[in-house]
Amino acid sequence: MSLSVARRTIATPVFLGLLLVAFALVALAVGSKPFNQTIIDIFLKVIFVVGLWVFIGNSGVISFGHTAFACLGGYVAAWTTIKPMMKGMSMPGLPDWLMQTEIPFWASAVVAAGWAALWALIFGSVLMRLSGIAASIATFAMLAMVNSIYSNWDSVTAATSSVVGIPIVRSIWPYLIAALIAVFAAWAYGISRHGLALRAARDEPTAAAASGIDIPAARLIAFVISGAIMGMGGALYAHSIGIVTPDTFYLGLAFITLSMLVVGGMGSLSGAVLGVLILSSLIQILRWLEAGVDIGTTTFALPGGVQEIALGAVMILILMFRPAGIMGNRDLSLPRKAASEPEGLKGPKT
Amino acid sequence: MSLLSLSNVSVRYGRLTAVRNVSFSMAEGEILFITGPNGAGKSSLLRAIAGVTPPAGGRIDFEGHDITGQSPEDIARLGISMVPEGRDVFGGLTIEENLMVGTGMHAHERGWKARAATELEAVYATFPILKERRHTQAGLLSGGQQQMLVIGRALMTHPRLVAIDEPSLGLAPNITDQVYERLIALQVERKLTLLIVEQSSTRAMMAGGRMMLMRGGEILLDGDARALGQSEAMQAAYFGYGEH
Repeated sequence: MSLSVARRTIATPVFLGLLLVAFALVALAVGSKPFNQTIIDIFLKVIFVVGLWVFIGNSGVISFGHTAFACLGGYVAAWTTIKPMMKGMSMPGLPDWLMQTEIPFWASAVVAAGWAALWALIFGSVLMRLSGIAASIATFAMLAMVNSIYSNWDSVTAATSSVVGIPIVRSIWPYLIAALIAVFAAWAYGISRHGLALRAARDEPTAAAASGIDIPAARLIAFVISGAIMGMGGALYAHSIGIVTPDTFYLGLAFITLSMLVVGGMGSLSGAVLGVLILSSLIQILRWLEAGVDIGTTTFALPGGVQEIALGAVMILILMFRPAGIMGNRDLSLPRKAASEPEGLKGPKT
Repeated sequence: MSLLSLSNVSVRYGRLTAVRNVSFSMAEGEILFITGPNGAGKSSLLRAIAGVTPPAGGRIDFEGHDITGQSPEDIARLGISMVPEGRDVFGGLTIEENLMVGTGMHAHERGWKARAATELEAVYATFPILKERRHTQAGLLSGGQQQMLVIGRALMTHPRLVAIDEPSLGLAPNITDQVYERLIALQVERKLTLLIVEQSSTRAMMAGGRMMLMRGGEILLDGDARALGQSEAMQAAYFGYGEH
């Protein structure tokens, strides 16, 4: 049964994966450093938004707080990869064993995922009993809490000042691989019985409970998995710029990732990934236009700030005309032979 | 031994008492209709049995174990499968996913996948239309098909007792006929124990079995559906003749 589901839906992560590989190849073809960084940033956003989707898309509970897990992950990268000497100066309060620890960037991403998952388990055990807007507000409170702890515990986080010295990874491949891991993990969770149970609870909580589903437990599983993905993304984010501050992972990141999910469509994994790719591409194009494009002898440039306005306009238009997002709860998939089923042409929905 | 027995069960919503000291028991393989006018407390009683609305007082035993106040998911695991009112299918899921949802609760048992697959085929055999449209989103089905789907979903977990809330609600009479036909056939075939809340007592009389009539949160009559249906007492209870 589950094997046949896997076979029927594997096209979705494969398509999305190929799309990501295509972005990586474009970066390779262009070969410019800033463009490379742009593509890395897109891959990081894919990780974050896919992480968000695992929880929001399947549970239907909007979380404003997931960047807290990215923050936890980002600081794991700082704690475990900066040279011990530099750590001693910026974060003197770290325990000795951690002070001496210096692991490669990929290992820090793995540890970050585990660390974030642990905290997702702790926070989630309490928060997952809430539903609807109460749950959303509580997740926001969680983000504010993590932010204010990391902004004030100066002996281990250097408070609001930047922690520098995180080894920078400029190759796009690790980020591509991490994004692929996130996409495939999200897909595997989505088709698992836990994912199915959670989506049932999202549609009809009473009937789901009457079908033997422990709703808080089902939500907690998704919360922990999405926390782990966010943690991994947070560590890699730190490695992409070499610096972390608590505000790197605060409202700005929370809202841009949430917007990308809304624009793409929170009902499907494809929506999450395409939301990032489409919005990021749009932002990049507007950035170029703001910087100025030479056409013949004249330079054409948009006034600064158009980027933000355009982004707002896109959000409004999507919410007006396609409230379920660009993908509208559908996943990319191979067109099936539609013998008795007209919906088959449009692909299965998750 | 009775499969299900209730003693002095009450259900309250704030200061409103929906069910008042209800006691009855059901034997294995029995088909029991609970009928009565709107607001009689039928659905509340069903929700109390399924654990969705914990009873305010009294005791509910299932297979000799006290299940009073247990969570709906635990009660479902014990073998009471409730089909809530309004055919609430999981609209965003496909038919097959809807059917598979409940089987997850047996995931800790060996061979649950094989059993779920067998069960799925059995449900498809009973409701061929579901198999035909297995990958269709459940929200797109017609009312009758959705009712068949929720009944199929309840059967997937091999329950000891299936409790259905108003299967005829909002369905055309001929569709309701079909639903009942299948239900009765299933009951005979699988020796299911069925507890059906049904506003229409005619429907219960047509199907046969045991019938209880509720009104104002209490059980007024209890007996053979066909015999009761013809009695004066039934009419009186429904329309309130001879009271006040």
